[in-house]
Amino acid sequence: MPAVLVIAAHDDWPTDRVIKALTDGGAEVFRMDTSEFPQDLTLAGRIDARRGWAGQLATPHRTVDLADITAVYYRAPNPFDLPAGMSEPEKRFAAAQARAGLGGIITALNCRWVNHPSMMSRAEYKPLQLATARACGLAIPPTLLTNCSDAVRRFVDDLHGNVICKPVASPVLIEDDQLKTVYTHRVSVADIDDLRGIETTAHLFQGWVDKAYEVRLTVVGDRLLAAEVHAGSDTAHTDWRADYASLTYRTTEVPDDVAAGVRSYMRDLGLRFAALDFIVSPDGAWTFLEANPCGQWDWIEHATGLPIAQAIADELQGVPA
Amino acid sequence: MTVDMRDAFPLAPEGGRIPHSTEPPTGPDSRPWILRFARTPDASQATVLPLAVYDPTLQMSVGLFDGPLPFMQTHSPTVPDGNVKNPPPLDEGTKD
Repeated sequence: MPAVLVIAAHDDWPTDRVIKALTDGGAEVFRMDTSEFPQDLTLAGRIDARRGWAGQLATPHRTVDLADITAVYYRAPNPFDLPAGMSEPEKRFAAAQARAGLGGIITALNCRWVNHPSMMSRAEYKPLQLATARACGLAIPPTLLTNCSDAVRRFVDDLHGNVICKPVASPVLIEDDQLKTVYTHRVSVADIDDLRGIETTAHLFQGWVDKAYEVRLTVVGDRLLAAEVHAGSDTAHTDWRADYASLTYRTTEVPDDVAAGVRSYMRDLGLRFAALDFIVSPDGAWTFLEANPCGQWDWIEHATGLPIAQAIADELQGVPA
Repeated sequence: MTVDMRDAFPLAPEGGRIPHSTEPPTGPDSRPWILRFARTPDASQATVLPLAVYDPTLQMSVGLFDGPLPFMQTHSPTVPDGNVKNPPPLDEGTKD
């Protein structure tokens, strides 16, 4: 029987919404988290000259045959939970075997993917996002990636001081027993006076783009689900993630040229889902900032009514847009 | 020689998505410059999540008390609440 394989953390509640949409539509679903392997999830896959990968993935509660999997929804699963009693070298060895074995057999499935993990990983890199967006005809802000303070000063001069900085990877850390995050920051003259620490790692600077509002564009297959994000505070005007409470939303349409660029972007990076962030300038021009191949979407659905969970379920089942 | 396969099958890192540390920040010569702008998120905007447990039969979380399923009760984006023992998922990304 055809089945959709869902690989996500058990407490990823937006995935529950996708499961509900799938099962309401009559789909057979097998949900797992990689943390269930190897203790609560068994794998017995076979391949030979006669047929491709087949055999069972099984939990104590249900079973799916690899040959029956027609689609996979892959969303930030957890590390393998290996048996207690292993030494650290044994754990590292076992984790690598699990990744290559379970991960290898799953990624070899020839079916619909939202998203294929290797495509998703590659598409996480902001430099690739910007280069791809540019090649696809989307407007992007001038951007500098550097660990060189002279390059920062030249960039800031070139852009007459209208520059932001933001992390190029995860913005969150826990240090000194405190959780901290780094939002987009408008660079000031005082910031540039002391650039000690630039040389310690890669830093990303971008030209500030005047904005009327921003757009969160959730792309699912051929479906473009766009929401305007209006900032209600100065903090949110610089980075809307810094002040969710001030935000208001409304659905919007994507201009044809932007839609064509976005479809090209998704095709080039092999993605079937992404959450893209755009700035819309007072003159109506759309500027691409980034595209999150595993982005959050549930709050946008709730705020706007955009049917994102249903779109993901439809994409997994091959329902045309 | 083999290449690192983590990017081909990315999982959350060992030790949690945001590893805990009690190490304090270092000085300006060794600390990444952008971390000057790191701040503790506004915990007042965090959402208290309902108590829930994963139901392997339904394949989704269910509340410990009567009421709608947990996914129907919360739609909040991932606003960190400052709890270092139970940090929320990252806003974006698979990350490994």
